[in-house]
Amino acid sequence: MIFRRVRGSAARERISLPVLVLLAALVLIIGYPLLLLAAMALNVGDAQALLPTHWGLANFVRLLGHLEWIRNTLLVALAGSTFGTALALLLAWIIYRTTIPGRRVLELLVTIPYPMGPLVGALAWSELASPHGGLINVLFDALTGSHASLVNIYSVPGIVFVMAIFEAPVAFLMIGAAMGQMDPSLEECSAVMGAGRLMTALRITIPLMLPAILSAWLFLFISMMGAFAIPTILGTNSRFYVATTAIYTLFQGYPPQYPLAAAVGFVLIAFAAIAVWLYTRALRGRSYAVVGGRTYRPRPIDMKGLTPFLFAVVCAYVVVALALPLGILLVASLQRNSNITLSAASWTLHNYRYVLFDFPTTRQAIVNSLLLGIGTGTVGTALATILAWVIYRSRGAGRGVLEQLTMVPQSLPRLIFAAALLWMMLALPLKLYGTLFAVLIAYIIVFLPLAYRSITGVVVQLDRSLEEAGRVHGAGWLSVMRSITVPLLSPGLLAAWVLLFMVSVREVSASIFLAGPGAQVLGPAIFNFWDSGGLPQVSALVIVQTAIILVALIVIRSVHKKGVAI
Amino acid sequence: MSLLDDPGVSSPAPGACGDRKPARDRAFIRVTGLEACYHGKPAVRGVSFEAYEGEQLSLLGPSGCGKTTTLRCIAGLETPTAGEIVIDEQVVFSAEQNIDVPSERRSLSMVFQSYAIWPHMTVFENVAYALRLHKERAGALRTRVTEVLRMVGMEALIDQPATNLSGGQQQRVALARSYAFLPKAILLDEPLSNLDARLRVRMREELKRIQRQFRVTNLYVTHDQEEAMALSDRIIVMREGVIAQVGKPLDIYDAPRSRFVADFIGAANILCGRVTEHRPGEALVVDVNGAKLVCAPRAELPRPNAEGEYLVAVRTVYPELRRNFEGAGVNCWPAFVKERLLLGDIVNYMVEWPGGMLRIHGFPNVLFSEGERLLLHISPERAVLVDADD
Repeated sequence: MIFRRVRGSAARERISLPVLVLLAALVLIIGYPLLLLAAMALNVGDAQALLPTHWGLANFVRLLGHLEWIRNTLLVALAGSTFGTALALLLAWIIYRTTIPGRRVLELLVTIPYPMGPLVGALAWSELASPHGGLINVLFDALTGSHASLVNIYSVPGIVFVMAIFEAPVAFLMIGAAMGQMDPSLEECSAVMGAGRLMTALRITIPLMLPAILSAWLFLFISMMGAFAIPTILGTNSRFYVATTAIYTLFQGYPPQYPLAAAVGFVLIAFAAIAVWLYTRALRGRSYAVVGGRTYRPRPIDMKGLTPFLFAVVCAYVVVALALPLGILLVASLQRNSNITLSAASWTLHNYRYVLFDFPTTRQAIVNSLLLGIGTGTVGTALATILAWVIYRSRGAGRGVLEQLTMVPQSLPRLIFAAALLWMMLALPLKLYGTLFAVLIAYIIVFLPLAYRSITGVVVQLDRSLEEAGRVHGAGWLSVMRSITVPLLSPGLLAAWVLLFMVSVREVSASIFLAGPGAQVLGPAIFNFWDSGGLPQVSALVIVQTAIILVALIVIRSVHKKGVAI
Repeated sequence: MSLLDDPGVSSPAPGACGDRKPARDRAFIRVTGLEACYHGKPAVRGVSFEAYEGEQLSLLGPSGCGKTTTLRCIAGLETPTAGEIVIDEQVVFSAEQNIDVPSERRSLSMVFQSYAIWPHMTVFENVAYALRLHKERAGALRTRVTEVLRMVGMEALIDQPATNLSGGQQQRVALARSYAFLPKAILLDEPLSNLDARLRVRMREELKRIQRQFRVTNLYVTHDQEEAMALSDRIIVMREGVIAQVGKPLDIYDAPRSRFVADFIGAANILCGRVTEHRPGEALVVDVNGAKLVCAPRAELPRPNAEGEYLVAVRTVYPELRRNFEGAGVNCWPAFVKERLLLGDIVNYMVEWPGGMLRIHGFPNVLFSEGERLLLHISPERAVLVDADD
């Protein structure tokens, strides 16, 4: 068994041209917007100017008066990521390691809430559990005759809850993958030598899973710090602002307060950087759990009497994160007005006709989102493939740096990066702002780490000798690519493509600033629609979006049996 | 450390031999009518055997023969579908009585094919883990760990993280770890198969030495007949979930019961023929293509093949070839060297004799050349009738 990844020393090798070109391009497209963001945060002169007329720290001083934004952000992100990771760990353990019935189906159902997206989750749960008119509260009142509301989703626990259940699937996939890579004999050995189940769990399993658990937690933490849809929909009512919603409000205000927004964004990025640094420190010398590449199928544990209970836990999650949200949205989309009735007699399909055909804005948003999905999928997959290829298959220095740079957008809250990108586009002489192209660029960059991770998994598995055999037999590089590499990679490439398509279709944070009247996109359109009322129509549009994503999900499952590797 | 260093052979650790006196006549592990599935398919189909206290017993067979599943059932890592397992007079599994003692309460120890060295611990912690579980006092812990590590020549690496170890070193730590707390028996699941060929031979010798020092009952699973021969008091040969033969290594080698065993252990010529004379326990002659081969007598004839012919196994090392034709007696024929393959330590001959072709192992000290005419002698006790496979 190999614990360590053997890294060739590349210290004295020269940097190759492809590495250099890619490095320069990434530095430019990731670094330049961030530089503009920093400059904007230090701008104490004309608030509308893109480049500071006067420099100073006044924006950060003003931010001291709004420390609750940062505090709230950290609060929901910490609570949400911790709850989400714990939930994911529990689900992964039940599904992958115990003998509950229907594991394959449950594994699929548990992952669906993630591609559905936080916007869908927030809308659905606000319809389910808003203090007044939320279905759960209405039913509770009808049953008990009281007028108190049972649950209030417009609260900090509500926000944390919805964030956790809709982000948990990513952590579930990450932890599940790590569980599959752990040699089951490590646990078996402990058992044979006399350790009980609890002892084995505490001394062997959990320490070995720790790197994966931490890395899932970090992913959720950063993702939740940049979460936009959930805190806006569930928090704005009660004037609960987090950094992203504050930035959005500062952008929307008249006049827009870009410098203060930039300062908030800057602080948020700093916190993300600190989290990444702490994580790296914590894991120093503990990378054993992720290496090896071999996957195992450990014998699931028969929990005997507890099995029905564990099964119920997973089902409860599926109900709360999938069935209830989809159910309420489906019912709401069939209503004639905002008052939800459960009697099918008064239901109508009118809302679907409205969002699909009659209303130009949503019609255009649907078409644009499909185009963006295809564009992001294609360009993103191509770019990630080239990067993976250069990093894993070429020689020379600088490949490690290139890989780290590729993964940088993962640590940047998407809404803030999109804002910075907006300033870059305004600063450039090209008239990109307000076009689909602007959104496309944003999507490609923010989803690059996702695409890269998904592709490297495939590239690493493809044995180099398969290509070398082609070369030896006289095929040129292009010919090897066409006849050997691409056919072998194509299921993996298709899976990455569909993954990018899905996340693009459902994205809000990266497009809320960049989509405009000339470039309507589904996520922001749903959001704006919600902002201006019209619950039945919003629900119909959400169902349309979910349908598109579910079709993509079916495609991805059929080409890639192991599901979406995040 | 270099693997070629001789790790302290001269100084067996005090107390390492254990408190129990080996009693070779007592069935220490008894498996009766064991049946088990692996990945839903029947892998073990009615296996019964006994391991005596202090015995080195091997389960040998090709992959998929059920040997590992049997071992894992004994360890409590798989649940059999039928049968009974008794360890040291305690029933640990019985389908009939619905008993299934969990792994951790069977007082066994195991060495895994992947070594299962815990990567988040140091060498010391790996070995100390089981000792702590078995309530070794903290004061004695370090001494005891050092002691067993010295036995495998690893005491210098005691504080190294386990991730720094090579395959051979992990193997040694895994052995030290499983012997450290003096378990009732040690189960070894192909412990040498992940090592490269040279290291495997070396570790085989070392394992033999460790076994002699500790005298703990060993149940050793392997597909490598050399390992089984070298390390065992007795061998259980398995095939397709059932036991093909049980016996001492040399008994199995000299008297394989079936064609499968003759083929799987050592190298053998399988000759087919009709029995022309059979006096139970006294004489047995088989006509192989006209050559009257006098075979080792036996009480009953084995199972013939589908054509009604009987199979005779002749080990490739036993037939003698000589240039001197004088004194030719029973089972002597003129032969002709058709092919010679020089392999270094051994020489392979394909020899034509009246019965057909025979593969014979020779040694470079007496070399025959291709085309040479020789005298072939097969000693009657070396021609063994075996069961045809079904």
